[in-house]
Amino acid sequence: MSVEPIDAAAAQDHLEMVNRILAESHQRLCNGGEYFVVWGIGSASITVLAQLVHGGLLPRAATWSLPIVIAACAAFSIVRSMQTRLVLQRSSLLQREFFNVLWLTLGLAFVVDIAGFNIFTGFASAAIWSVAEAIVLLYIGLHGNRRAQIAGVLVIVSLVVANFVSPGIAGYVLGAGMLFGYGGFGASELLARE
Amino acid sequence: MDELLLSKVRLGVVAELLGYDWVAFSELVRSLETTNGNLGAHLSKLVDAGYVEEEKSFANRRPLSRYRLTKRGREAFASHVAQLQALLKAT
Repeated sequence: MSVEPIDAAAAQDHLEMVNRILAESHQRLCNGGEYFVVWGIGSASITVLAQLVHGGLLPRAATWSLPIVIAACAAFSIVRSMQTRLVLQRSSLLQREFFNVLWLTLGLAFVVDIAGFNIFTGFASAAIWSVAEAIVLLYIGLHGNRRAQIAGVLVIVSLVVANFVSPGIAGYVLGAGMLFGYGGFGASELLARE
Repeated sequence: MDELLLSKVRLGVVAELLGYDWVAFSELVRSLETTNGNLGAHLSKLVDAGYVEEEKSFANRRPLSRYRLTKRGREAFASHVAQLQALLKAT
């Protein structure tokens, strides 16, 4: 291949173009607010439902609806991620790394919840989800998303408060953290996208 | 210097792909402000050289071509940019 040798002016021009492109390719982490809304509502409703059953306000049979809520959230995530993948014009390396962290954290929480139910009994199993959600939010926050930082702190605060309040309302506090922290962050991302 | 990257369009393509996993053809046309034919020809050279990987699929019944940088392309870009900087320093 024979190409004209490059001179200093052309080299400068090429480097300026490269710098401009790299500056414009600002990497914004998380463009899937809908996942957070769905899982925030899902996890909060499961926790609140468990609290209602625990408090005798709902019959024990109501716990059978928990797997249905989880399955519905999982089905939404799978279908939505398949749709998004097909129409995505750009998918960043950072985004891929984030999804690895997301699935690893939530997947681990799910496995621990299923396999370690004798260790993490009662609201401890809900608290695992709060920890997982806080990790995901704070990871996004580490990449400069201020709303994710606030949401992550909110989930952590709900966890600490739930530890000190009476067992009769601990589930509601955890649920509120999930709804307003995780789900609220998702809603704010969707609004920011608009 | 890497002769393949002495073309401004090809260098631009590689720079565009640098921070992304996959980028669609239409998005490259838009960001590099070039024509479909011109970009297609440059992309073919990058794909043939093993600098860029191509994936063809359909999205909503429309053909979708996406591209991503290979390890070889990433290394070539880093080396080329370092040589451009060295050239500027020397002058």
